[in-house]
Amino acid sequence: MARVVVLGGGVSGHTAATFLQDWIGSNHEVVVVTPNSKWNWIPSNIWVGVGQMTKEDVTFDLAPVYEKVGIIYHQAKALGIHPEGDKKSDKPYVVVESTKEGSVGETENIEYDYLINATGPKLNFGATPGLGEGTNLGEHTVSVCTADHAEHASHELHKMIEAMKAGERKKFLIGTGHGMCTCQGAAFEYIFNIEHELRKAGVRDMADMKWISNESFLGDFGVGGLHMKSMGFAVSSKIFAESLFTERNVDWIIGAHVNKVESGKAHYELLDGTKGEEEFDFSMLIPPFAGVGLKAIAKDGKDITDTLFAPNGFLKVDANYGAGAYENWKASDWPSTYQNPTYSNIFACGIAFAPPHPISKPMKSPAGTPIGPTPPRTGMPSGIMGKTVAHSITDLITKGADAPLHKASMAEMGAACVASAGKGLFNGTAAAMTIYPVVPDFEKYPGTGRDTDYTFGEIGLAGHWIKHILHHLFMHKAQLRMGWTLIPE
Amino acid sequence: MVKDIVTYPTPPSAEYSTDVRVFDENLFALIDDLKDTIEANGLEALTAFQIKNHFNVVVVKKSDGSFLELINPRLISTKGKITTREKTAYFPGLSAEVTRYDKISVIYQDRDGNDLSLKAEGDFSILLQRKIDYTFGSSFLNKLSKEEKANFELQLEYGAEAATAQTCPTTFKRDYFKKGVMAITVAMILLFIASFFVESSLWMTQVYLYLAALVVNVGYFFYGYYEGKKYSSCTSCQIGNIIGTFVISLVKASVVLGVSYFFM
Repeated sequence: MARVVVLGGGVSGHTAATFLQDWIGSNHEVVVVTPNSKWNWIPSNIWVGVGQMTKEDVTFDLAPVYEKVGIIYHQAKALGIHPEGDKKSDKPYVVVESTKEGSVGETENIEYDYLINATGPKLNFGATPGLGEGTNLGEHTVSVCTADHAEHASHELHKMIEAMKAGERKKFLIGTGHGMCTCQGAAFEYIFNIEHELRKAGVRDMADMKWISNESFLGDFGVGGLHMKSMGFAVSSKIFAESLFTERNVDWIIGAHVNKVESGKAHYELLDGTKGEEEFDFSMLIPPFAGVGLKAIAKDGKDITDTLFAPNGFLKVDANYGAGAYENWKASDWPSTYQNPTYSNIFACGIAFAPPHPISKPMKSPAGTPIGPTPPRTGMPSGIMGKTVAHSITDLITKGADAPLHKASMAEMGAACVASAGKGLFNGTAAAMTIYPVVPDFEKYPGTGRDTDYTFGEIGLAGHWIKHILHHLFMHKAQLRMGWTLIPE
Repeated sequence: MVKDIVTYPTPPSAEYSTDVRVFDENLFALIDDLKDTIEANGLEALTAFQIKNHFNVVVVKKSDGSFLELINPRLISTKGKITTREKTAYFPGLSAEVTRYDKISVIYQDRDGNDLSLKAEGDFSILLQRKIDYTFGSSFLNKLSKEEKANFELQLEYGAEAATAQTCPTTFKRDYFKKGVMAITVAMILLFIASFFVESSLWMTQVYLYLAALVVNVGYFFYGYYEGKKYSSCTSCQIGNIIGTFVISLVKASVVLGVSYFFM
């Protein structure tokens, strides 16, 4: 009997664990280690952040779901990986620390035959002074990264709305809180959902809204922009985003590295070297992501974290990390099996794997500050990666160690993104975008690097309905309710 | 080499705004072509896009006759608004009132790949903004106010749509099926109203009409699916859309039938 340990129970880890259990669970053991007691459909946090959904709508308890299908669940956070075992035994194991009420802080070793690292990111608020301390959100801004943060954001937003109703003008600043952020999409959704709520509340004219982001052009979204179809026209996402911002009367600052946040004020440096500050009454700034800080220890007790992990804390996989400068980047640099090159029984998926390089053009200010989006790994690619890794491990266990691994490279994978711009059954809007492939392949598709036949986008009410249906579909799937295996990633 | 400038109504290519990654002879040759074409046509500036090249390159002829080469330019910060009458080589002989930023800051690279930035205002700022728009595949059409765009379109022989890269038709044959279902549904409603004034039972006629609507609707579904496959880049051809329309038409006809069942 083999044991597969999955670190993390987010989109990627949960997908991997549940499919593994479905495919080999009757004969083998699947263990999930995650510090959270609840599963969260993160894309819908945006709606929690404006009070259109509750925390309960976007989360559910993991324990009963795992119990139902027989997955062993540890509510704990992983501290370190011992891929060679220790002096007493050759069996590899992970050290975990309980986060469960009643046993908080107790550590335990869990042995594994295969390990999937799907821990997701550490929300690195501490990277920007004033944005927060370590992984904790600071007092000056709000966040929609977790359901709890989103609930707090909604509370603060409604205080603003009340103040505006009483006649006070308010300034909103939404975007990225550091030069090396990803997830512009979430901030993009949030600013337009707020705009929509303010209009509904009849106070839009009392609000000055501004977008701040590390993208070098509006509509980069961390994927170097895309060419989309909108209202029958083929346009660049830049033109599309600019017209949307102008139409909704939202101003923007781009190419910005937010380097300090104070009460009511954000300081930033731009790509052209100018420095500036922006005042706000309400601000949601996305923190940069880092690895969760797992340690790796060799058999003799030596720290081998550098062997297993990239400097940013994400796990190394079968990517080409030596690609060098922008002009040498190739689609083939991107990993396809997500297997660690040193330890073949360790895999990483979702945000936890170390990407070889960004997708957008890397840029820095004259002072040398790197300012540019890091590669996004949204729900759809994360789910696909999780399932692919589960497939590979299933084959390794059932067909033997020589079984060929399954592949899913982000350079051969499309992604659908539905960015909500306001919730409402009849007046909601969302921008639906599809890109193929996520990572541009300049050899296969000379020019834009993408297949423009499969890269498109549209904005409207239908997009909102899709987003809403997706919410229910994925909540249904993640709770392993009837027919869950039929729902795609 | 002097190249042909893409002009209206040739639609611009859908492939554009690819950042230059390799700074080599190919790039230098492209810059030379741009300069030759500017000289030959007496222009102020050109983007690679205007001579059918997808790279993100702009060349401007300065007042002293020298050239400014901007590789991968990006508009970083802006200040103030200014409205002027602009001309562009894409629409020969035409002009339009366009509102742009007065002062701008642009980052770009030179032919050796060095990162540089510049500040511009007034006419130079307007020129750069127009050119940077082209590197993202857009003419000033996207920047016009609603009224100005309507005025401008009147001057265009083939309409504004010809000036945007089109890959998706706006009318479909499958819509004839949709209209058919609609017509039958309307007939069913009329028959339902008529049933209150006519002695004999019209119920069976209603059932036949419903079946006809169903058959035409199924025809819509399969033809729509077949037609959609021809235009893979077209979102309105997605199967989800076709299923949606199919279901909506079916529900409408079914509601009429359901109501008829109780009252006819």
